[in-house]
Amino acid sequence: MTKQIFLGCLSSTHYKDTCESGIKIIQSIDSEYKVFDDVPCCGALSYHITQEEKMKQHVEYVNKWFQEHNINKITTICAGCYQYLTKYYPMFLGKDFKVEVEHLLQFLARSDNLSKLNINYEGKKLRFCYHDACHLRNAVVPIIEEPRKILNSIKNVELQEMENNKLNSICCGSGGGVYSIFKENSDYNTKTIFDQMRRGKILLTGCPFCYTAFQRVKKENNIRKPVLKIEDFLMKLINGVDPLK
Amino acid sequence: MSEKANELYEKVQGKVDTLKNEDSVYAKFADIWRLACLGKYRSYDLRYLYEDTSREYIEKYKPAMIEAKENFVENIDEYVEKCINVMEKTNKFRVHYAKTNEEAKEVFMKELGDNKLIYKSKSLEAKDTGIMEILKENNIEIKETDLGDVLCQLLEYEYPSFTLGPGIQFTEEEIVAKIKEKYGIDLEPDAEKIVAYYRKNYRPELLNEVKVSLTSANAISAHDGSIVLIENEGNISILTRATEKHIVVAGISKIVPDEFDALMVAKIQERITNVDGAYISFISAPSSTSDIQGKRVLGMYGAKEVVVILVDDWRTKAAKENLFYKDMLKCISCKSCDFVCTASRAFGNVYASKYGIGGINIVRDYIHNGIEAAVKDGLFLCTGCENCTNWCPSGVDLAEMMKNIKKIATEKGLCPPPLKKYQEKILDDKNPFKS
Repeated sequence: MTKQIFLGCLSSTHYKDTCESGIKIIQSIDSEYKVFDDVPCCGALSYHITQEEKMKQHVEYVNKWFQEHNINKITTICAGCYQYLTKYYPMFLGKDFKVEVEHLLQFLARSDNLSKLNINYEGKKLRFCYHDACHLRNAVVPIIEEPRKILNSIKNVELQEMENNKLNSICCGSGGGVYSIFKENSDYNTKTIFDQMRRGKILLTGCPFCYTAFQRVKKENNIRKPVLKIEDFLMKLINGVDPLK
Repeated sequence: MSEKANELYEKVQGKVDTLKNEDSVYAKFADIWRLACLGKYRSYDLRYLYEDTSREYIEKYKPAMIEAKENFVENIDEYVEKCINVMEKTNKFRVHYAKTNEEAKEVFMKELGDNKLIYKSKSLEAKDTGIMEILKENNIEIKETDLGDVLCQLLEYEYPSFTLGPGIQFTEEEIVAKIKEKYGIDLEPDAEKIVAYYRKNYRPELLNEVKVSLTSANAISAHDGSIVLIENEGNISILTRATEKHIVVAGISKIVPDEFDALMVAKIQERITNVDGAYISFISAPSSTSDIQGKRVLGMYGAKEVVVILVDDWRTKAAKENLFYKDMLKCISCKSCDFVCTASRAFGNVYASKYGIGGINIVRDYIHNGIEAAVKDGLFLCTGCENCTNWCPSGVDLAEMMKNIKKIATEKGLCPPPLKKYQEKILDDKNPFKS
C-alpha cells in the first residue's frame, strides 16, 4: 500500500515552491510518502456546476487512478481537495472509496509528528495572522484548532487572532468558481481581511485559492505584509530564513 | 441554451460593472450595506443591550428553535389543521386556507371589498403571493407605514433593498428635498426632524383613518392560534388596533407548535437584528368587550375583524416530497444569512431578487419564477462559503440549496460560460489550471 502527497492541481501548476515545502516537511517526518506526476484533478471546483452522472463518472475515474497506484492514504496540501475528497467521494462512492484522506495541518498537528517537526525560531518575536479558509472550516471534519496548535508550539511567534476567525471567518471571494467570473468579491472581502490584521505582520493560509486571491489583492493595493502558505512559512523557519523578507 | 447563458451572464456583469460608478444606485446601496454588515458582523459577539452576547443567546436557543421548526415540517398537515380550528372556533378569526398564490390573491381582493385604500406594515408574504401586484393592477392605493418603506415609496425606489431597513441608503438631504418637492414643506436635513414630521403628520391619519390594514406574521402558534408580530416603530401596534379590519397574510410555514415557540421566534429575530424590538404583539382575537350584561360584543377599541389568509402554495409539497428547498420552511426571516454573506457585502443589491437582497431571496425567486430568474439575480455570485448555514438560528442549510440551484442551472445550460469552460477542463483534461 502507498501513501501519497496530494498536491492539488492549482498548487502543482502554479505554486511549485509551495509544493516543494509541503513535500519536504511531510517526507522529513514520514519518508514513506510519495509524489506522483499527472495526478487527476479531484473535481473540487465542479460539483455545483456538473450533472450528477458526469460528476460520478469523474469521481470513479479518480478512484480508479488511486486503485491503480495502490494508494490507501493521502495527505493533501490543498484545502479544496481535502474538503472535496472527504465529503463528496464517500457520498458518490460509498464503501468503494477506501482512501484515508487528511490535510497537512492534521498530519502536522498530531503530537508525535509535531515533536518530530520541532521548529526552533530564534529571531525577534514575530506576530502573524492566520486566515481560516472556508474549505477547511466547513469540512466534514473541520480543521480549525490544528493550525493554531502547530503555530503556537513554535517559540517566539505569536498568533494574532483576527476579528473574524474560525467558523466566523470572511470568505476571500474565490469559492464556487466566482473568482474566475467576478473578481469584485475578492477585491472587497480580501481587503477587509487585510484590514483586520492590525498588528499581525504576516498573513498565513492553508488554502491555495485564498492564497491566490490574497496575492492579487496585495499586489494591486501595494500591501507590504507578506502572504504565505502555511507550509512555506514553516519551511522558512526551518531553514532559518526571515519570513518577513 | 448557451446563448441564454451568455445573455444572463452579461446582464449580471452589467449590474456588477455599475458598482464601479460611485453615483450608481447599486454602488450607493452597496456602500451603506457594507458598513452595516461590518458593524453587524462584529456586534454578534459584542454585548449590546444585554448581559450576554447575542451570539450566546442564539446558541442557547438554537436547538429548541430547530426542534420546533422540524416538528412543524414533519407534521405539517396536523399543525395547519389544528391551527385553523382554534383560530376559527376559539379566536373568532375568519380564516382562509389558500392552496395557491392565485387563491390567496382572489380571497384577498374579496376581503378588501370596495375599499380603495389599504395601509400595510412590512410584509414579505404580500410580495411572495403577488398581492402587491394585484393591488397595483386594481388601482388600490397602498400606504406603507414602516418608515423605511414610506421613504422608498416617497423616493420611488424600485430596486431590491434590505427588508429590515429598506431606504437605509437615502441621505437626509435626498429625503428632505423630495418632501419639499412633493409636499412643499421645508425641513432641515436631520433624521430627528424627518421623524418628527412623520409623527406629526402621518400618525394622526394612522390612528383615525385606517379601515383595512394588512400585516404579515412573524410566527403563528398552532396551539392557541395567536398571531405574533414584532416591531420597533409602533406602526404594527397601531395598524392592528386602530382599524376596522385587520388582514393577516402569512405562509403556513410561519406556524410553530405552540405560543412559547412563537415567542422564541420573535425574541431570536430581535436579538439577531440587534434592534430594540420595542413591541411584541400576540393577537388572539378581535377586540371585544363583555362589560354590558356579560354580552360579548366585537370591536371595542381595536380591530372589529381579524382575517387570516394562510398561504400554502409550494410549502406542503416541499415538505411531503422532500424537495431540496424544504429547508425554506424552517426560515424565520431573521436575515442573519444576509449580514454574514460575503457575496452580499461585495455586490449589495446586485445580488438580489425582487423579493429582497441575498441568497435566501434568490431561492424565493427560484421557487416562484424559475431558474432563469435565479440566474439573473446573480445566483453564481455565491461563493459557497457556507457562512449563511453556519449562522442560521433555525437550521436552514441555505448554502446547500444554492448549490442545488446552481446544479439545476447547469443542467438547463445556464451556467456562466467561463465557469463552464473550467468544468470542461476538469472533466476532460483532469486539470483546470493547465494552459
